[in-house]
Amino acid sequence: MLEDDLTVTTRDQDGVAIIDLVGDVTTFAEDKINNAYREVTNTGARFVLLNFRQNDYINSAGIAILIGIVTEVNRNNQKLAVSGLSQHFQKIFRMVGLAQYADIYQTEEEALSGFDRFRG
Amino acid sequence: MAISDDPAYQPLDKVIELRLPSKLGYERVAMDTASSLARRMGFHPDRIESLKTAISEAVTNAIEHGNQHDEAMKVVVLLTARDDGLVISVADQGQKILPQEHTTPSPQIADVMERSDKGGWGIWLIRELMDEVEFTTAPSGGNQVRMVIHLEP
Repeated sequence: MLEDDLTVTTRDQDGVAIIDLVGDVTTFAEDKINNAYREVTNTGARFVLLNFRQNDYINSAGIAILIGIVTEVNRNNQKLAVSGLSQHFQKIFRMVGLAQYADIYQTEEEALSGFDRFRG
Repeated sequence: MAISDDPAYQPLDKVIELRLPSKLGYERVAMDTASSLARRMGFHPDRIESLKTAISEAVTNAIEHGNQHDEAMKVVVLLTARDDGLVISVADQGQKILPQEHTTPSPQIADVMERSDKGGWGIWLIRELMDEVEFTTAPSGGNQVRMVIHLEP
């Protein structure tokens, strides 16, 4: 009831691996998010989008998980974007510095367009 | 001086006390209660979001570090509605005392990315989001953080 309230799924859209995160991102999210990231990376994804929905609660443990993803993305020479965050969590991402490593978009559509500039 | 003349005095009917089990997830009860109270006090929705993040971090710290996940130990949250803002106190039962030098962190993401432990953002977030923050020892001997968020006119 109070512990695990996140659904993580993956899909491909126009060559972008989209990881949909529906629910809360806390310490309980670690395996789900890391497994989804590994799954899309193992299939050769160059572009990764973390698409947040209904995320009323992202705490510092969740931020730590996302910093881990950013670290791996840098190591693997991928491009990362995030979409769907509330204004509050967009602010938190900027404060923490995650915005230096991942472009932040309001919507999935804007994020998908944003990857176009990296395509050669 | 009568007690009601003391500026620190708050009528009991303006204090909400929560006693939460030391189990992750119960910080949401504190978030929801604080959010409901702040909304009724007239706080802007952005400020309520900041309050929810700060209180979740404070309660999570108390559960994880102060009380070491011992569910029999309580995290005590006091919410005091004042005319000029909301005072939130979060106290644990002090299985592990927080060193004073850990109460003023300034993590840098580039450094954190080099470490295996990517955490350490909670207290920093509390300080960034609240107007006043003070770490003290609770009457019970545990850790206590007192946070104030001002009600802007």
